[in-house]
Amino acid sequence: MRPSLGYDVAVVGAGVAGLTAATRMAESGARVVVLAKGVGSTHLAAGTVDVLGYDPDRVSSPARSLPAFVAARPDHPYSLLGVDAITLALDWFAERIERGPQPGYRYVGDLERNYLLPTAVGAARPSALVPETMAEGALGGGRPICVVGVRVLREFHPTLCAANIARMGVAARGVEVKIDVDRPELNALGLARRFDDPVFRRDFAARLAPSLEGDERVGLPAVLGLRDPHAAWSDLQDRLGRPVFEIPTPPPSVPGMRLFDALRAALRAAGGRLVMGTRVMGAEREGARVTALRVDTAGRETTFGARCVVLATGGFASGGLALGSDWVVRETVLGLPLRGVPTAGSPRFGAEYFGEQPMARAGVAVEPSQRAEQTENVFVAGAALPGAEPWREGSGEGISLTSGHRAAELVLASDGLAAAA
Amino acid sequence: MAALSTDVLVVGGGATGAGVAWDAALRGLQVVLADRADLCEGTSGRFHGLLHSGGRYVVKDPRAAEECIAENRILREVAADCIEDTGGLFVTTPSDDPAYADRFAEGCRATGVDCEEVEPAEVLREEPRLHPGISRAFRVPDANIDAWKTVWALARGANERSGARILPYHAAVDIHRRGDRVTGARLRDVRTGEELDVEARVTVNATGAWAGKVADMAGLEGVQVLPGRGIMIAMNHRLVDTVVNRCQMPTDGDILVPIRTVSVMGTTDVHTDDPDDQTVAQEEVDAMLEDGEKLVPGFRQARALRVWTGVRPLFQDAKEDVASTRDVTRAHTLLDHAERDGVGGFVTITGGKLTTFRLMAEETVDAVCRQLGENRPCTTATERLPGSEAGEHYQLGERLARREDRLRDDQLVCECELITRNKLEESMRRRGTDNLDDFRRALRLGMGPCQGGFCMYRATGIMHSIDGLTAEQANDALLHFLQERWKGVWPILYGDQLRQARLDDWIFQGVLDVGHLER
Repeated sequence: MRPSLGYDVAVVGAGVAGLTAATRMAESGARVVVLAKGVGSTHLAAGTVDVLGYDPDRVSSPARSLPAFVAARPDHPYSLLGVDAITLALDWFAERIERGPQPGYRYVGDLERNYLLPTAVGAARPSALVPETMAEGALGGGRPICVVGVRVLREFHPTLCAANIARMGVAARGVEVKIDVDRPELNALGLARRFDDPVFRRDFAARLAPSLEGDERVGLPAVLGLRDPHAAWSDLQDRLGRPVFEIPTPPPSVPGMRLFDALRAALRAAGGRLVMGTRVMGAEREGARVTALRVDTAGRETTFGARCVVLATGGFASGGLALGSDWVVRETVLGLPLRGVPTAGSPRFGAEYFGEQPMARAGVAVEPSQRAEQTENVFVAGAALPGAEPWREGSGEGISLTSGHRAAELVLASDGLAAAA
Repeated sequence: MAALSTDVLVVGGGATGAGVAWDAALRGLQVVLADRADLCEGTSGRFHGLLHSGGRYVVKDPRAAEECIAENRILREVAADCIEDTGGLFVTTPSDDPAYADRFAEGCRATGVDCEEVEPAEVLREEPRLHPGISRAFRVPDANIDAWKTVWALARGANERSGARILPYHAAVDIHRRGDRVTGARLRDVRTGEELDVEARVTVNATGAWAGKVADMAGLEGVQVLPGRGIMIAMNHRLVDTVVNRCQMPTDGDILVPIRTVSVMGTTDVHTDDPDDQTVAQEEVDAMLEDGEKLVPGFRQARALRVWTGVRPLFQDAKEDVASTRDVTRAHTLLDHAERDGVGGFVTITGGKLTTFRLMAEETVDAVCRQLGENRPCTTATERLPGSEAGEHYQLGERLARREDRLRDDQLVCECELITRNKLEESMRRRGTDNLDDFRRALRLGMGPCQGGFCMYRATGIMHSIDGLTAEQANDALLHFLQERWKGVWPILYGDQLRQARLDDWIFQGVLDVGHLER
């Protein structure tokens, strides 16, 4: 076994929560390593920051709805985090994106009102903070919409999207533009790379322009560039002479990749380290303290010593939690105690897909300090926290971002790190 | 109201009903085939996929064994393309009574089921995942049969040979009775509510576990079918490449059938009063996983894809007391109501098993011809089904080979099952249905590991654009599919399949937010 590598903090998981916590701690001078099996939530999600979308009716202002939402749910992560922490986290996040590697690319919005943006199926999804490239898609009046797809992209069907938008009282229609590609299918990432190319954009705009009518705004799948999306988006608006907006697609998510790239760049700029392709196999402990993580990297075991650990491994979708065929739920990295797990004999899931799913609220049991119960120096952030149903509430990124942001502060102030300083 | 007349009206579009339609069409009769749902949506599409060698019945029910082996040989010829010749094994695991093996071998000899004892070591070389403690092993000609493909081939063949009308989603709402004759039925299109009167010289009740209900509609009492409900679990891999049976008296969880890209563990047997009962009990799932461990150690760690229930149609003689449905005869029952009740123009066929559907159809159409007073010999034992003309069995990997030939020509809609966009669009145009679940059965759309997570948005978008559906219809189709899928996964959500389900939730509830589509 190789000798231990010593860090102040080891963060497990490279989703929004893990990258946010790690970056913020690194910015404060801590020696931070992020250990991740692979990319996380970013590449699956829409790339928006959803704080509170449904309660259970559609929320128009998270700022107004959060106090009652929190008061009714003492076990919800937002109760633990506090509403004020959300604003701090959102501001921190927006700043990091603006400073990021994609010039001019930024997020807009705040907690005062949700954007209602169309999804690829044409539903209206509420988000607090959205990439500027999506903002013109806001529903609820405004110019008519022309939803534009390309046949090679299977994750976007413009006529269905437009037909559903039209049902909400916004005039909309779908068209398909033919592009020259040498293959029958191209995913969102492949298309985004092409949109980074000005020649491709010029050609695309020239093909699309004749089919646009009146004062339509143009909805495109969220594939307008990965390296320089602001340039791609601005260029298309200029060429078409009308507002253009992106609509998130099913995975892979290009806006999510941009977000990941920006946070990773911020982490590196602050001196943090990201090690992908690693799986945490176990931990070394002294009493209730975890002193090191044993990690399998490229088939070799390495030990990362750390004074504190931030667990940001996500829930069942990300593998942070697992339910065995013995119907026992486990936290997969450290075997931490859980909360919110349906008791033996009570229903784990319900028969109605959109009905109550009790298992969805399971998570790692934490103190108000986000410290995992029965540990002295393991903190939890993101979807591993119990008590939420992120997709149903439209709260996923809000919880991940805020809990990651707040965990950084709590770790830095904790005994584990203070003792080291 | 629309009306039409025909020689034979077949109510029930499972393997038996479609088999009757094909048989009657080959004998030159005009046929209408109706089902309240999609063809093969009931019991025929809800079994484990086994083409019996008969081995399962050699000790318990020799007559059933003889029927199975005879039909097995015939179907391998006439429905070759629907069958994958996996072969079968009966193995004595440490959990089985070792004395049964000799009785099994003797039963095979007595019933003519081909059977060869092989060394356990040889079997373990071929099927290394099997329990290493196997003490005896016998090779039999079990195989798997794709019921959906078979039933649609039968229906298509009936249509091609004699213009048979195939009417899925047409429920029989009334059986017409004129004195001591049944003269046809009123059908209702369950999608549109439109009704259709079919006048038939003979009506065939081929509704399996629902046969009693349809007979009641004709005013014929005492047709009692005892539904026996069983669950099956499809595992995400071919844990074995040969059908594997436990060598013991028939019981729960005694068979693992490799079919297409999965293997199916079956089954349980619980009496139910309601043939539409699709309950999956937790204890049944646990018991099935335990039984899987006895055949393939580590079974519980494998990924379960889907669970479903089927109801066996077991005909009961009302005069006898029956404690367990497993003890009711698996053989089929033909009721010629002219002989039984003095009511002509009506025949009920029920019981039996998928392997013997052709024989059941033959006997049924023989009865139909007796009632019509016409002598028309059966030819289904030698006529090959559409698609099976070449007489070659389905090979696992056929789809992949076809796909690899045309990688650059067409996009894939469903990666798991290698379904191309042209294939899906062609099927959508031909079938004219907006139920995405129909394409699951027809093409295996959404049947793979992601259970529709990636292909269902695509399929909905494609259907909306080519079919001229309204957004509401497209949304309903998608939401209906998601609910149907959930029904089959939530009782077995653990391990990687739970992770997959949450990823799918992320796509549908998160990124697409389909739960909040404007209603």
